[in-house]
Amino acid sequence: MRDQDERLIRCFASVFPHLTEEQIERASSDSVGVWDSLSSVTLAAVIQEEFNVEVEPDALPDLDSFRAFRDYLSSR
Amino acid sequence: MKLIEALKINQTPSHDGQRRLRIFLLCGFTPLHLQTFLTAHLRNRIAECGPEIKTGLFGDLIGSIERLNASEADVLAVALEWTDLDPRLGIRRLGGWRPQQLADIAASAESAAERIQRALETVSKDITTILSVPTLPLPPAFATRPLQSAPLEQQLHRIAAELAESLAGCPGIRLLSSQKLAEISAPVVRYDIKSDLLTGFPYTLGHASAMGELMAHLIENRSPLKGLITDLDDTLWSGIVGEDGVDGISWNLDDHSQMHGVYQQFLSSLAAAGVLIGVASKNDAGIVAQAFERPDLLLSKEDAFPFEVHWKSKSESIRHILKTWNIAPDATVFIDDSPAEVAEVKAVFPELTCRIFPKNDSAAIWALLHELRDLFGKSVVMQEDLLRMRSIRNAAAWRDESGAPQTPSDEFLRSAEARISFECGRSGADVRAFELVNKTNQFNLNGRRYTEAEWRQFLGDPSAFLLTATYEDKYGALGKVAVLMGTIQAGKVQLRTWVMSCRAFSRRIEHQCLRYLFDELGAERILFEYQPTDRNGPILDLLTSVAGTPLDAPITLSKEHFSAGIPQLFHRVEVNVHA
Repeated sequence: MRDQDERLIRCFASVFPHLTEEQIERASSDSVGVWDSLSSVTLAAVIQEEFNVEVEPDALPDLDSFRAFRDYLSSR
Repeated sequence: MKLIEALKINQTPSHDGQRRLRIFLLCGFTPLHLQTFLTAHLRNRIAECGPEIKTGLFGDLIGSIERLNASEADVLAVALEWTDLDPRLGIRRLGGWRPQQLADIAASAESAAERIQRALETVSKDITTILSVPTLPLPPAFATRPLQSAPLEQQLHRIAAELAESLAGCPGIRLLSSQKLAEISAPVVRYDIKSDLLTGFPYTLGHASAMGELMAHLIENRSPLKGLITDLDDTLWSGIVGEDGVDGISWNLDDHSQMHGVYQQFLSSLAAAGVLIGVASKNDAGIVAQAFERPDLLLSKEDAFPFEVHWKSKSESIRHILKTWNIAPDATVFIDDSPAEVAEVKAVFPELTCRIFPKNDSAAIWALLHELRDLFGKSVVMQEDLLRMRSIRNAAAWRDESGAPQTPSDEFLRSAEARISFECGRSGADVRAFELVNKTNQFNLNGRRYTEAEWRQFLGDPSAFLLTATYEDKYGALGKVAVLMGTIQAGKVQLRTWVMSCRAFSRRIEHQCLRYLFDELGAERILFEYQPTDRNGPILDLLTSVAGTPLDAPITLSKEHFSAGIPQLFHRVEVNVHA
């Protein structure tokens, strides 16, 4: 699980480079000002490539925080 | 490259002294990851430039090209897809695929292609343009099974192919190779239908990276290498000519040596495009001369110069060839079938690109030829490329006759029957002048290099001039050998750039150039923007001789002073001035 979290943190850091690890673990579209639709799409693409998973389009609107992505990956 | 890597590269802070590289990336879809990958590949390839990418309006590629202000960017990159020819060729617009609708799609694609062609022909006169033609598959719109091609499908391919063919011939356009793209991005894994539906970005990440990579290569437009030195036995031909005899060496299917013939015809095509070909072989010179008389040899003796055929070391041969060509080792490739010879040469010339000729491995030879094409390929072949080998032979003949390196006598210069043709204007379309300025090291006023945008921008100044000199004498033509760029205001020339090919030294062409500035351009005084570099000693020698004063900055030369000290000139001069 820790390995998955570290990889997920790296994905978030590539899209939100100004966030610290701690901030990433608490990050959500509400708390991160620059988290817009473009960031969401980029983040989803990075995570799909890194974890070799397909994020279903229907799931995307709910993937609005680090925790949501972590839970989504854990459920796959 | 993975997306996460591209994002990381793009987050690296730019360093001091990086030049901005302003790029318009235009496509009919949202550029999204293509922009990310293009930026990352550019940062990887062109470290001295910081790319800044602007994009156009989503869904309006043609309008974006037509509205483009070329002065706002250095490069235009266009990723054309079928939907730009007609939106009904994608899945985001539902316009129908019935037969009469398909016929209408083809007609509208034809007219869109004509519009794109006109727009790109116009804009590419002012801005370097990179273009890819449709890379994604056509939709299943036709009545035939997918394995059977439909007439309308072929019509669409013809429209795209004709557009590509006509634009590939435009001087300002570099067309991305579909074949090269297919090598790194298989057609079946290019289209991401989910991403297309969800975000309007139709490329898979792999395809976006491949497109970004190839576009970055085309934008970088690396200078080609200049010379190739080849071994003969078991390289240019199969067999050892000294042992097997002239008739015993081969390059044919029957003797299973066909790839040596392919190598010969490849070298011949390089020679025809202006690449210098030299020979370094440990052999008996007489036997090699006989071998080159064989009429079936695909590389003629006229294609190669010089021939270093003797029993001395290969590195000594390389040294002599490089001196004759007057080019640096890092602009040259050496090919030999012997690993020991390659190692010996590499030890002496570490900057030389050395390759072992894989004589018994046809696939490896094939790969080698592709690599060599990559190293020597050029955007356009110019008249000077075709003259290069002859002009080097002529320069050698000149040296032999004139007694160089000593200064040739007036009598010799008079007998050379030299002619110089000057062209003066402000056109930024002189590719040879641009190339000469960006590759000349020795006779170079300050070592200043230009991007295509900087070149055009400078010549856009109404006070600017671009002067070129083309030279020919009874020993042959050297082609365009000198380029001067500067500004003239109120009788004062500020010379910003001055380069001259090293093959043109000792002919007093430089004095004619200065005379042109005074007599034809109307200069009373020239201010030279001289800066010393590691290799521009020859221009310092000239400035020292004509200035007649200590070379403290700034270096200037008056018309009176020049006229008083000018040596006798014997050239016949022609002048062409362009508005």
